[in-house]
Amino acid sequence: MSMTDSTEPVPVRSGAVSLILADSRFPGGGHVHSGGLEEAVERGLIHGTADLRPFLAGRLRATGELTAVFAAAAAHAAARGVTRRHWAVLDSEFDARTPSAAQREASRAQGRGTARAASAGWPSPVLRELLAETPRPHHPVILGVITGMSGGRPVDAASTAAYLAVSGPASAAVRLLGLDPLAVNGIVANLSRALDDVAGRAAAVAGDDPRDLPAPGAPALDLLAEAQLRHHKEEVRLFAS
Amino acid sequence: MKATAHLTAEFDPVTGRTVLRRLRSMAPLTLLPKRGAGDVALVHLVNSATAPLGGDELALHVRVGPGARLRLSGVAATLALPGQRGGAGTMAVHAEVAEGGRLDYLPEPTVVTARARHHALLTAELAADARLRTREVLVLGRDGERPGELTTAMHVTRGEVPVLRQELTIGDALLDGSSAYLAGRRVLGTEVVVAGSDGAVEPVSGQWWSLTPLPAGGALATVLAEDAVTAERELAEAVSHHPAPIG
Repeated sequence: MSMTDSTEPVPVRSGAVSLILADSRFPGGGHVHSGGLEEAVERGLIHGTADLRPFLAGRLRATGELTAVFAAAAAHAAARGVTRRHWAVLDSEFDARTPSAAQREASRAQGRGTARAASAGWPSPVLRELLAETPRPHHPVILGVITGMSGGRPVDAASTAAYLAVSGPASAAVRLLGLDPLAVNGIVANLSRALDDVAGRAAAVAGDDPRDLPAPGAPALDLLAEAQLRHHKEEVRLFAS
Repeated sequence: MKATAHLTAEFDPVTGRTVLRRLRSMAPLTLLPKRGAGDVALVHLVNSATAPLGGDELALHVRVGPGARLRLSGVAATLALPGQRGGAGTMAVHAEVAEGGRLDYLPEPTVVTARARHHALLTAELAADARLRTREVLVLGRDGERPGELTTAMHVTRGEVPVLRQELTIGDALLDGSSAYLAGRRVLGTEVVVAGSDGAVEPVSGQWWSLTPLPAGGALATVLAEDAVTAERELAEAVSHHPAPIG
Protein backbone atom coordinates (compact mmCIF):
# COMPACT_ATOMS: atom_id res chain seq x y z
CA MET A 1 0.00 0.00 0.00
CA SER A 2 1.29 3.40 -0.87
CA MET A 3 1.79 5.81 1.98
CA THR A 4 -0.29 8.32 0.08
CA ASP A 5 -3.25 6.07 0.84
CA SER A 6 -2.44 5.86 4.50
CA THR A 7 -4.93 7.39 6.86
CA GLU A 8 -2.55 7.32 9.80
CA PRO A 9 -1.13 10.77 10.43
CA VAL A 10 2.64 10.99 10.58
CA PRO A 11 3.56 12.22 14.06
CA VAL A 12 5.23 15.62 14.14
CA ARG A 13 8.94 15.09 14.52
CA SER A 14 10.64 18.29 13.57
CA GLY A 15 14.24 18.77 14.46
CA ALA A 16 16.57 15.95 13.56
CA VAL A 17 15.71 15.71 9.87
CA SER A 18 16.18 19.46 9.45
CA LEU A 19 19.58 19.29 11.12
CA ILE A 20 20.69 16.49 8.83
CA LEU A 21 19.49 18.24 5.65
CA ALA A 22 20.97 21.60 6.63
CA ASP A 23 24.32 20.16 7.70
CA SER A 24 27.09 21.20 5.33
CA ARG A 25 28.38 17.62 5.61
CA PHE A 26 25.13 16.21 4.21
CA PRO A 27 26.21 14.33 1.04
CA GLY A 28 23.77 16.02 -1.35
CA GLY A 29 26.38 17.77 -3.47
CA GLY A 30 25.59 21.27 -2.23
CA HIS A 31 29.25 22.01 -1.56
CA VAL A 32 29.99 22.57 -5.26
CA HIS A 33 27.48 25.45 -5.52
CA SER A 34 28.17 29.03 -4.43
CA GLY A 35 24.78 30.43 -5.43
CA GLY A 36 26.25 33.13 -7.66
CA LEU A 37 28.77 34.22 -5.05
CA GLU A 38 31.83 33.11 -7.02
CA GLU A 39 30.79 35.07 -10.13
CA ALA A 40 30.01 38.12 -7.98
CA VAL A 41 33.47 37.89 -6.41
CA GLU A 42 35.13 37.46 -9.82
CA ARG A 43 33.40 40.65 -11.00
CA GLY A 44 34.60 42.58 -8.00
CA LEU A 45 31.09 43.08 -6.65
CA ILE A 46 32.00 41.50 -3.33
CA HIS A 47 35.31 42.19 -1.59
CA GLY A 48 34.55 41.65 2.05
CA THR A 49 31.96 41.22 4.73
CA ALA A 50 30.43 44.66 4.07
CA ASP A 51 29.43 43.55 0.53
CA LEU A 52 28.60 40.01 1.56
CA ARG A 53 25.89 41.11 3.99
CA PRO A 54 23.56 42.68 1.38
CA PHE A 55 24.31 39.86 -1.08
CA LEU A 56 23.13 37.25 1.41
CA ALA A 57 20.17 39.32 2.57
CA GLY A 58 19.04 39.82 -1.04
CA ARG A 59 19.59 36.17 -1.87
CA LEU A 60 17.46 35.18 1.10
CA ARG A 61 14.62 37.51 0.10
CA ALA A 62 14.63 36.25 -3.50
CA THR A 63 15.93 32.71 -4.00
CA GLY A 64 15.51 31.86 -0.33
CA GLU A 65 11.88 32.93 -0.39
CA LEU A 66 11.16 30.91 -3.54
CA THR A 67 12.90 27.74 -2.34
CA ALA A 68 11.27 28.04 1.09
CA VAL A 69 7.84 28.28 -0.52
CA PHE A 70 8.37 25.14 -2.61
CA ALA A 71 9.98 23.19 0.22
CA ALA A 72 7.01 24.02 2.46
CA ALA A 73 4.51 23.13 -0.29
CA ALA A 74 6.25 19.80 -0.93
CA ALA A 75 6.36 18.96 2.79
CA HIS A 76 2.66 19.77 3.06
CA ALA A 77 1.88 17.61 0.02
CA ALA A 78 4.01 14.69 1.23
CA ALA A 79 2.34 14.71 4.63
CA ARG A 80 -1.24 14.98 3.37
CA GLY A 81 -0.80 12.52 0.50
CA VAL A 82 -1.16 13.62 -3.12
CA THR A 83 -1.45 11.92 -6.48
CA ARG A 84 1.73 11.32 -8.45
CA ARG A 85 0.65 14.01 -10.87
CA HIS A 86 1.04 16.61 -8.12
CA TRP A 87 4.83 16.20 -8.21
CA ALA A 88 4.87 17.00 -11.91
CA VAL A 89 2.78 20.11 -11.24
CA LEU A 90 5.11 21.34 -8.50
CA ASP A 91 8.07 20.66 -10.78
CA SER A 92 6.64 22.67 -13.67
CA GLU A 93 5.56 25.50 -11.36
CA PHE A 94 9.09 25.78 -9.93
CA ASP A 95 10.48 25.61 -13.46
CA ALA A 96 8.26 28.52 -14.54
CA ARG A 97 9.61 30.57 -11.61
CA THR A 98 13.25 29.85 -12.52
CA PRO A 99 13.88 31.55 -15.86
CA SER A 100 17.66 31.04 -15.76
CA ALA A 101 18.61 27.74 -17.40
CA ALA A 102 21.78 27.70 -15.29
CA GLN A 103 19.79 28.10 -12.09
CA ARG A 104 17.40 25.33 -13.09
CA GLU A 105 20.35 23.03 -13.72
CA ALA A 106 21.96 23.93 -10.38
CA SER A 107 18.67 23.21 -8.61
CA ARG A 108 18.17 19.86 -10.34
CA ALA A 109 21.81 18.82 -9.77
CA GLN A 110 21.40 19.41 -6.04
CA GLY A 111 17.98 17.77 -6.14
CA ARG A 112 19.45 14.68 -7.75
CA GLY A 113 22.31 14.55 -5.25
CA THR A 114 19.86 14.89 -2.40
CA ALA A 115 17.67 12.17 -3.95
CA ARG A 116 20.57 9.71 -3.88
CA ALA A 117 21.15 10.39 -0.22
CA ALA A 118 17.41 10.22 0.46
CA SER A 119 16.92 6.87 -1.22
CA ALA A 120 19.50 5.41 1.15
CA GLY A 121 18.50 7.44 4.19
CA TRP A 122 14.75 7.87 4.05
CA PRO A 123 13.27 5.29 1.66
CA SER A 124 9.52 5.70 1.34
CA PRO A 125 6.75 5.15 -1.20
CA VAL A 126 6.25 8.90 -1.53
CA LEU A 127 9.94 9.40 -2.32
CA ARG A 128 9.77 6.66 -4.96
CA GLU A 129 6.70 8.28 -6.52
CA LEU A 130 8.42 11.66 -6.58
CA LEU A 131 11.51 10.21 -8.27
CA ALA A 132 9.45 8.17 -10.71
CA GLU A 133 7.67 11.34 -11.80
CA THR A 134 10.73 13.64 -11.64
CA PRO A 135 14.03 11.70 -11.63
CA ARG A 136 15.93 14.96 -11.18
CA PRO A 137 13.65 16.83 -8.80
CA HIS A 138 14.19 20.45 -7.93
CA HIS A 139 16.18 20.79 -4.73
CA PRO A 140 13.51 22.48 -2.56
CA VAL A 141 10.88 19.93 -3.61
CA ILE A 142 12.90 16.95 -2.46
CA LEU A 143 13.94 18.76 0.71
CA GLY A 144 10.25 19.22 1.41
CA VAL A 145 9.36 15.62 0.63
CA ILE A 146 12.07 14.24 2.93
CA THR A 147 11.00 16.62 5.68
CA GLY A 148 7.30 15.87 5.29
CA MET A 149 7.79 12.10 5.20
CA SER A 150 9.93 12.30 8.32
CA GLY A 151 7.24 14.07 10.30
CA GLY A 152 8.66 17.55 9.85
CA ARG A 153 6.31 20.47 9.34
CA PRO A 154 6.20 22.72 6.27
CA VAL A 155 7.87 25.46 8.30
CA ASP A 156 10.77 23.11 9.04
CA ALA A 157 11.27 22.37 5.36
CA ALA A 158 11.03 26.08 4.58
CA SER A 159 13.64 26.91 7.24
CA THR A 160 16.02 24.33 5.81
CA ALA A 161 15.64 25.63 2.26
CA ALA A 162 15.97 29.26 3.30
CA TYR A 163 19.04 28.52 5.41
CA LEU A 164 20.71 26.59 2.58
CA ALA A 165 20.08 29.59 0.30
CA VAL A 166 22.51 31.62 2.43
CA SER A 167 24.78 29.08 4.14
CA GLY A 168 26.29 27.77 0.91
CA PRO A 169 27.25 31.23 -0.43
CA ALA A 170 28.47 32.23 3.04
CA SER A 171 30.93 29.35 3.28
CA ALA A 172 31.93 29.92 -0.36
CA ALA A 173 32.80 33.50 0.58
CA VAL A 174 35.11 32.26 3.32
CA ARG A 175 36.91 30.03 0.83
CA LEU A 176 37.06 32.50 -2.06
CA LEU A 177 37.90 35.68 -0.19
CA GLY A 178 39.59 34.28 2.89
CA LEU A 179 37.11 36.11 5.10
CA ASP A 180 37.07 35.68 8.85
CA PRO A 181 34.73 32.72 9.44
CA LEU A 182 33.52 34.28 12.67
CA ALA A 183 32.55 37.50 10.93
CA VAL A 184 30.76 35.59 8.16
CA ASN A 185 28.93 33.48 10.71
CA GLY A 186 27.93 36.72 12.40
CA ILE A 187 26.27 37.87 9.17
CA VAL A 188 24.34 34.62 8.90
CA ALA A 189 23.40 34.81 12.58
CA ASN A 190 22.09 38.33 12.01
CA LEU A 191 19.79 36.93 9.33
CA SER A 192 18.13 34.59 11.87
CA ARG A 193 15.01 36.67 12.20
CA ALA A 194 14.76 37.21 8.45
CA LEU A 195 15.16 33.44 7.96
CA ASP A 196 12.32 32.78 10.37
CA ASP A 197 10.15 35.36 8.64
CA VAL A 198 10.77 33.76 5.23
CA ALA A 199 9.95 30.32 6.61
CA GLY A 200 6.82 31.58 8.31
CA ARG A 201 5.53 33.23 5.14
CA ALA A 202 6.28 30.07 3.15
CA ALA A 203 4.48 27.84 5.65
CA ALA A 204 1.43 30.09 5.53
CA VAL A 205 0.88 29.28 1.84
CA ALA A 206 2.13 25.66 1.89
CA GLY A 207 -1.32 24.19 1.20
CA ASP A 208 -2.22 26.60 -1.59
CA ASP A 209 -2.78 25.59 -5.20
CA PRO A 210 0.75 25.42 -6.69
CA ARG A 211 -0.32 27.84 -9.43
CA ASP A 212 -0.94 30.51 -6.81
CA LEU A 213 2.34 30.18 -4.91
CA PRO A 214 4.57 33.26 -4.78
CA ALA A 215 7.09 33.67 -7.60
CA PRO A 216 9.88 35.97 -6.40
CA GLY A 217 12.53 36.54 -9.05
CA ALA A 218 16.19 37.52 -8.68
CA PRO A 219 17.43 39.26 -11.83
CA ALA A 220 21.07 39.70 -10.79
CA LEU A 221 21.39 36.11 -9.57
CA ASP A 222 19.99 34.93 -12.90
CA LEU A 223 22.61 36.93 -14.78
CA LEU A 224 25.43 35.82 -12.48
CA ALA A 225 24.38 32.17 -12.88
CA GLU A 226 24.31 32.39 -16.67
CA ALA A 227 27.74 34.03 -16.75
CA GLN A 228 29.28 31.58 -14.29
CA LEU A 229 28.22 28.70 -16.52
CA ARG A 230 29.46 29.99 -19.86
CA HIS A 231 31.87 32.88 -19.67
CA HIS A 232 34.68 31.17 -17.89
CA LYS A 233 35.08 27.77 -19.48
CA GLU A 234 38.79 28.38 -19.83
CA GLU A 235 39.24 29.61 -16.27
CA VAL A 236 39.38 27.41 -13.24
CA ARG A 237 36.40 27.92 -10.99
CA LEU A 238 35.87 26.29 -7.65
CA PHE A 239 32.08 26.09 -7.94
CA ALA A 240 29.58 24.78 -10.49
CA SER A 241 27.20 27.67 -9.80
CA MET B 1 -9.62 56.65 -10.88
CA LYS B 2 -10.96 53.31 -12.12
CA ALA B 3 -10.83 52.49 -15.77
CA THR B 4 -11.09 49.35 -17.91
CA ALA B 5 -10.21 49.35 -21.60
CA HIS B 6 -10.90 46.56 -24.08
CA LEU B 7 -9.23 45.62 -27.32
CA THR B 8 -10.16 42.65 -29.52
CA ALA B 9 -8.36 41.78 -32.74
CA GLU B 10 -9.64 39.17 -35.17
CA PHE B 11 -8.41 37.73 -38.42
CA ASP B 12 -10.69 38.55 -41.34
CA PRO B 13 -10.51 35.67 -43.84
CA VAL B 14 -12.04 37.82 -46.61
CA THR B 15 -9.29 40.45 -46.63
CA GLY B 16 -6.59 38.32 -45.05
CA ARG B 17 -5.94 41.08 -42.53
CA THR B 18 -6.41 41.56 -38.82
CA VAL B 19 -9.29 43.83 -37.89
CA LEU B 20 -10.14 45.46 -34.57
CA ARG B 21 -13.52 44.13 -33.54
CA ARG B 22 -13.61 45.95 -30.27
CA LEU B 23 -11.68 49.00 -29.24
CA ARG B 24 -12.93 50.65 -26.10
CA SER B 25 -10.77 53.28 -24.46
CA MET B 26 -11.48 54.64 -21.01
CA ALA B 27 -9.58 57.61 -19.64
CA PRO B 28 -6.75 57.56 -18.84
CA LEU B 29 -6.22 54.51 -21.08
CA THR B 30 -6.53 55.57 -24.68
CA LEU B 31 -6.22 53.09 -27.54
CA LEU B 32 -5.34 54.63 -30.90
CA PRO B 33 -5.59 52.44 -34.01
CA LYS B 34 -2.80 53.08 -36.49
CA ARG B 35 -2.17 51.97 -40.03
CA GLY B 36 -0.57 48.56 -39.61
CA ALA B 37 2.10 46.93 -41.68
CA GLY B 38 0.97 43.99 -43.80
CA ASP B 39 -1.48 41.77 -41.96
CA VAL B 40 -0.63 43.14 -38.51
CA ALA B 41 -3.02 45.46 -36.71
CA LEU B 42 -1.20 48.25 -34.89
CA VAL B 43 -2.58 50.07 -31.88
CA HIS B 44 -0.94 52.68 -29.71
CA LEU B 45 -1.60 52.73 -26.00
CA VAL B 46 -1.52 56.28 -24.69
CA ASN B 47 -1.77 57.23 -21.05
CA SER B 48 -3.85 60.34 -21.63
CA ALA B 49 -3.65 61.89 -18.16
CA THR B 50 -0.68 61.69 -15.85
CA ALA B 51 -1.23 58.09 -14.98
CA PRO B 52 -0.99 55.83 -13.21
CA LEU B 53 -1.40 57.72 -9.96
CA GLY B 54 -1.57 56.19 -6.51
CA GLY B 55 -5.10 54.90 -5.96
CA ASP B 56 -5.78 54.29 -9.67
CA GLU B 57 -7.18 50.92 -10.68
CA LEU B 58 -6.53 50.52 -14.37
CA ALA B 59 -7.21 47.40 -16.41
CA LEU B 60 -6.71 46.52 -20.03
CA HIS B 61 -8.22 43.39 -21.59
CA VAL B 62 -6.73 42.27 -24.88
CA ARG B 63 -8.01 39.38 -27.01
CA VAL B 64 -6.30 38.18 -30.13
CA GLY B 65 -8.46 35.78 -32.13
CA PRO B 66 -7.36 32.73 -34.14
CA GLY B 67 -4.74 33.67 -36.71
CA ALA B 68 -4.89 37.38 -35.86
CA ARG B 69 -1.77 39.50 -35.33
CA LEU B 70 -1.80 42.54 -33.06
CA ARG B 71 0.96 44.90 -32.09
CA LEU B 72 0.14 47.11 -29.12
CA SER B 73 2.82 49.71 -28.50
CA GLY B 74 3.34 52.45 -25.98
CA VAL B 75 4.29 55.89 -27.25
CA ALA B 76 5.93 57.51 -24.24
CA ALA B 77 7.42 56.52 -20.93
CA THR B 78 4.97 55.98 -18.09
CA LEU B 79 5.55 57.89 -14.88
CA ALA B 80 4.28 56.04 -11.84
CA LEU B 81 3.38 58.90 -9.48
CA PRO B 82 2.15 59.06 -5.90
CA GLY B 83 -1.53 59.80 -5.43
CA GLN B 84 -2.99 62.47 -3.16
CA ARG B 85 -4.08 59.93 -0.59
CA GLY B 86 -0.93 57.84 -0.74
CA GLY B 87 -2.70 54.65 -1.82
CA ALA B 88 -1.21 52.15 -4.22
CA GLY B 89 -2.13 52.25 -7.89
CA THR B 90 -2.58 49.17 -10.05
CA MET B 91 -2.34 48.52 -13.74
CA ALA B 92 -3.50 45.05 -14.78
CA VAL B 93 -3.17 43.81 -18.34
CA HIS B 94 -4.87 40.57 -19.24
CA ALA B 95 -4.23 39.08 -22.67
CA GLU B 96 -5.66 36.02 -24.38
CA VAL B 97 -4.13 34.84 -27.62
CA ALA B 98 -5.94 32.13 -29.60
CA GLU B 99 -4.61 29.44 -31.95
CA GLY B 100 -2.22 30.84 -34.51
CA GLY B 101 -2.56 34.34 -33.06
CA ARG B 102 0.28 36.68 -32.21
CA LEU B 103 0.43 39.53 -29.74
CA ASP B 104 3.29 41.98 -29.42
CA TYR B 105 2.72 44.12 -26.33
CA LEU B 106 5.54 46.64 -26.14
CA PRO B 107 4.95 49.45 -23.67
CA GLU B 108 7.58 52.12 -23.16
CA PRO B 109 9.60 52.20 -19.91
CA THR B 110 7.92 52.83 -16.56
CA VAL B 111 9.68 55.32 -14.31
CA VAL B 112 9.04 54.67 -10.63
CA THR B 113 9.13 58.17 -9.15
CA ALA B 114 9.77 59.01 -5.51
CA ARG B 115 6.97 58.00 -3.13
CA ALA B 116 5.00 56.24 -5.87
CA ARG B 117 3.30 52.98 -4.89
CA HIS B 118 2.36 50.95 -7.89
CA HIS B 119 1.47 47.37 -8.78
CA ALA B 120 1.78 46.14 -12.34
CA LEU B 121 0.27 42.82 -13.35
CA LEU B 122 0.40 41.04 -16.68
CA THR B 123 -1.38 37.76 -17.29
CA ALA B 124 -1.21 36.16 -20.71
CA GLU B 125 -3.11 33.00 -21.62
CA LEU B 126 -1.83 31.46 -24.80
CA ALA B 127 -3.29 28.76 -27.03
CA ALA B 128 -0.96 25.90 -27.97
CA ASP B 129 0.67 27.59 -30.96
CA ALA B 130 -0.03 31.22 -30.09
CA ARG B 131 2.89 33.65 -30.09
CA LEU B 132 3.68 36.42 -27.65
CA ARG B 133 6.28 39.07 -27.24
CA THR B 134 6.18 41.47 -24.34
CA ARG B 135 8.66 43.79 -22.71
CA GLU B 136 8.92 45.55 -19.40
CA VAL B 137 11.52 48.21 -18.65
CA LEU B 138 11.49 49.63 -15.14
CA VAL B 139 13.49 52.73 -14.23
CA LEU B 140 14.28 53.36 -10.57
CA GLY B 141 13.35 57.04 -10.28
CA ARG B 142 14.07 60.06 -12.42
CA ASP B 143 17.64 61.41 -12.51
CA GLY B 144 19.02 61.59 -9.01
CA GLU B 145 15.74 60.46 -7.49
CA ARG B 146 15.21 57.50 -5.19
CA PRO B 147 12.44 55.27 -6.48
CA GLY B 148 9.10 54.72 -4.81
CA GLU B 149 7.73 51.19 -4.59
CA LEU B 150 6.69 49.05 -7.48
CA THR B 151 5.77 45.40 -7.59
CA THR B 152 5.37 43.67 -10.87
CA ALA B 153 3.99 40.22 -11.60
CA MET B 154 4.03 38.40 -14.90
CA HIS B 155 2.17 35.15 -15.48
CA VAL B 156 2.31 33.52 -18.89
CA THR B 157 0.51 30.22 -19.35
CA ARG B 158 -0.14 27.95 -22.30
CA GLY B 159 -3.25 25.96 -21.57
CA GLU B 160 -2.60 24.36 -18.18
CA VAL B 161 1.16 24.71 -18.54
CA PRO B 162 2.91 27.58 -16.77
CA VAL B 163 5.50 29.22 -19.05
CA LEU B 164 6.75 32.02 -16.80
CA ARG B 165 5.81 33.34 -13.40
CA GLN B 166 7.89 36.20 -12.04
CA GLU B 167 7.26 38.72 -9.29
CA LEU B 168 9.73 41.52 -8.73
CA THR B 169 9.99 44.34 -6.26
CA ILE B 170 11.52 47.74 -6.98
CA GLY B 171 12.23 50.39 -4.39
CA ASP B 172 13.20 48.20 -1.44
CA ALA B 173 16.60 49.66 -0.58
CA LEU B 174 17.98 46.29 0.52
CA LEU B 175 17.02 44.55 -2.73
CA ASP B 176 17.85 47.49 -5.01
CA GLY B 177 21.42 47.57 -3.72
CA SER B 178 22.01 43.84 -3.26
CA SER B 179 24.33 42.32 -5.83
CA ALA B 180 21.98 39.30 -5.70
CA TYR B 181 18.95 41.32 -6.84
CA LEU B 182 19.32 44.59 -8.79
CA ALA B 183 23.01 45.10 -8.00
CA GLY B 184 22.55 48.84 -7.57
CA ARG B 185 21.70 49.28 -11.23
CA ARG B 186 18.96 51.75 -12.13
CA VAL B 187 17.12 49.95 -14.90
CA LEU B 188 15.66 46.45 -15.09
CA GLY B 189 14.51 45.21 -18.46
CA THR B 190 12.81 41.92 -19.28
CA GLU B 191 11.38 40.64 -22.53
CA VAL B 192 9.42 37.45 -23.03
CA VAL B 193 9.30 35.81 -26.42
CA VAL B 194 7.09 32.81 -27.09
CA ALA B 195 7.56 32.10 -30.75
CA GLY B 196 7.05 28.44 -31.48
CA SER B 197 10.70 27.74 -32.33
CA ASP B 198 11.85 28.38 -28.78
CA GLY B 199 13.14 24.84 -28.44
CA ALA B 200 16.12 25.96 -30.50
CA VAL B 201 17.04 28.84 -28.18
CA GLU B 202 20.55 28.46 -26.81
CA PRO B 203 21.29 30.35 -23.61
CA VAL B 204 23.49 33.35 -24.36
CA SER B 205 24.62 36.17 -22.11
CA GLY B 206 26.78 39.23 -21.72
CA GLN B 207 27.98 40.87 -18.52
CA TRP B 208 24.57 42.28 -17.57
CA TRP B 209 22.18 40.68 -20.02
CA SER B 210 21.05 37.20 -20.92
CA LEU B 211 18.64 35.27 -23.10
CA THR B 212 17.59 31.92 -21.67
CA PRO B 213 15.14 29.31 -22.90
CA LEU B 214 12.17 28.70 -20.63
CA PRO B 215 11.53 25.04 -19.83
CA ALA B 216 7.98 24.89 -21.20
CA GLY B 217 8.73 26.88 -24.36
CA GLY B 218 9.45 30.55 -24.75
CA ALA B 219 12.53 32.52 -23.83
CA LEU B 220 13.28 35.35 -21.44
CA ALA B 221 15.71 38.19 -21.98
CA THR B 222 16.91 39.97 -18.85
CA VAL B 223 18.97 43.17 -18.58
CA LEU B 224 20.25 45.23 -15.68
CA ALA B 225 21.56 48.58 -16.93
CA GLU B 226 22.48 52.06 -15.75
CA ASP B 227 20.04 53.80 -18.09
CA ALA B 228 16.97 53.00 -20.18
CA VAL B 229 18.70 53.50 -23.54
CA THR B 230 21.34 50.91 -22.69
CA ALA B 231 18.70 48.58 -21.29
CA GLU B 232 16.69 48.69 -24.52
CA ARG B 233 19.80 48.25 -26.65
CA GLU B 234 20.93 45.21 -24.66
CA LEU B 235 17.42 43.74 -24.65
CA ALA B 236 17.46 44.02 -28.44
CA GLU B 237 20.89 42.38 -28.48
CA ALA B 238 19.64 39.53 -26.29
CA VAL B 239 16.49 38.98 -28.35
CA SER B 240 18.48 39.07 -31.60
CA HIS B 241 19.92 35.69 -30.59
CA HIS B 242 16.45 34.14 -30.72
CA PRO B 243 16.19 32.01 -33.87
CA ALA B 244 12.63 33.10 -34.71
CA PRO B 245 11.99 36.25 -36.77
CA ILE B 246 11.06 38.56 -33.90
CA GLY B 247 10.90 42.10 -35.26
